[in-house]
Amino acid sequence: ASLCFQAFLQMCNLPVRVVCRANAEYMSPSGKLPFIHVGNQVVSELGPIVQFVKAKGHSLSDGLDEVQKAEMKAYMELVNNMLLTAELYLQWCDDATVEEITHPRYGSPYPWPLNRILSYQKQWEVRRKMKAIGWAGKTLDQVLEDVDQCCQALSQRLGTQPYFFNKQPTELDALVFGHLFTILTTQLTTDELSEKVKNYSNLTAFCRRIEQQYFEGHDKDSSATVTARSAKRSLLR
Amino acid sequence: MAAPMELSCWGGDWGLPSLHPESLTVMAYAKFSGAPLTVNTINNPWRAPKADVPALISEDIIISQPAKILSFLRKQKYNADYQLSAKQGADTLAYIALLEEKLLPALLHTFWIEAENYCNVTKPWFASRIAFPLSLYLPGKMSREALNRITLTKGGPPLYSLTEVEAQIYRDAKECLNLLSKRLGTSQFFFGDTPTTLDAFVFGFLAPIYKVCFPRVQLQDHLKQLPNLCRLCDDILTCYFRLTVSGHSPAGQDTADANLQKLTQLVNKESNLIEKMDDNLRKSPQHPPRKLTTLKLAAGGEESSPLNRLSP
Repeated sequence: ASLCFQAFLQMCNLPVRVVCRANAEYMSPSGKLPFIHVGNQVVSELGPIVQFVKAKGHSLSDGLDEVQKAEMKAYMELVNNMLLTAELYLQWCDDATVEEITHPRYGSPYPWPLNRILSYQKQWEVRRKMKAIGWAGKTLDQVLEDVDQCCQALSQRLGTQPYFFNKQPTELDALVFGHLFTILTTQLTTDELSEKVKNYSNLTAFCRRIEQQYFEGHDKDSSATVTARSAKRSLLR
Repeated sequence: MAAPMELSCWGGDWGLPSLHPESLTVMAYAKFSGAPLTVNTINNPWRAPKADVPALISEDIIISQPAKILSFLRKQKYNADYQLSAKQGADTLAYIALLEEKLLPALLHTFWIEAENYCNVTKPWFASRIAFPLSLYLPGKMSREALNRITLTKGGPPLYSLTEVEAQIYRDAKECLNLLSKRLGTSQFFFGDTPTTLDAFVFGFLAPIYKVCFPRVQLQDHLKQLPNLCRLCDDILTCYFRLTVSGHSPAGQDTADANLQKLTQLVNKESNLIEKMDDNLRKSPQHPPRKLTTLKLAAGGEESSPLNRLSP
């Protein structure tokens, strides 16, 4: 998710500095990461940040007509609904991943036994949520199939265009880039998730294009560390 | 393909074939694609397979969620989307996600959590269709599940109280309705002249909001301001469900129904009185019955004209 914001802010041509903090979740006004700190104000979550940036006079979706805006919102919900939930599922409900990767990562800033307690608490919370929306009964294969369907939809919508709404990048491009890049670059126990995304060549080309255009403008070193750190941070979600 | 298919789902009222959004979606899709489904409304959820509704039963296979039921129907060659391009198929998925994220919480709230609606409409309706003693337990359970879903998915900080969450979900729902209306524009269905999966889902979610008479109706009022969405629901109901939908708005129909009920009651009262008078007359034959009935008619006022028609 942090990558979505960075991409979005880069696309708006706003300079941004990324800082990693262990207590980031507590600093955020809504408890959710990431958040931006501008002057006296602190704003978190994609929706409010987009509105905040718009209020300051930068917006990526002004050129769209009403129907396109409706489509953009619908696709953003699709990404949130499918990809985000699938990522959460994989991190917290798939036992193998949980044991090997998530628990150690999530608990790493804290001493024992706090690390175990906090990660179990988070896991219980996520599992409750999955149950409420009906994903608890899904097997890993079904989740992967859903991700595949979502990627197929995104791929068909993108087609051969450079961005989802042709010439200009929008919030949707930032969001999709953030999620797909995270999936493609994060090491998990299985590569199945990233394989699903790699099946769609226009999506991988899309990610590479945005990375080159907006992230390699900075120093190679800082962008590499930034992407690595934000990849880690999104797992800490 | 010729295997008989049975759908068990919640029944309907207020002019709808079902009150349950997911059941409505499946029924609508079946009508659009021409799938021969026998619909069994549930009177006894113990018997419903896995108590998961709606459920499609074909031979020995039981399938329970709308998305899975729809893909099963498509595999059986009942496909309402064959005319859609790949991009339109992708749009369908996106809009369905929008409906589930933005509209469903408010729908659940209107049905199951809003106290007046729940106590006066939803609970009695569902309880009347569930066998005792389950009728005491199941509506409460469905209400708790709805609340759980809303608080877990929408209720994180900074929204700490339920009223703030409610305000947020209704805002989202109204925005979603506006977006759908803009997308529909002036065309008959979302993708041209034939209805597709997206129309089935939109119908399934919107029709209960549109038709059910709740005491607290902020979402319904908002929906009525979007005439193209109301027209879509009415069109689907008249064309595919062959249910009579009067041209009146539900409020108008309500008052018409209430008036009809009052009228019927008055007529019944009058005819009972007349019978009593007739009996009295038979005991005392000197008064000609006609005069008395004319007296009765004169006293009746507005009930007189139907009385004229009804009494011999």
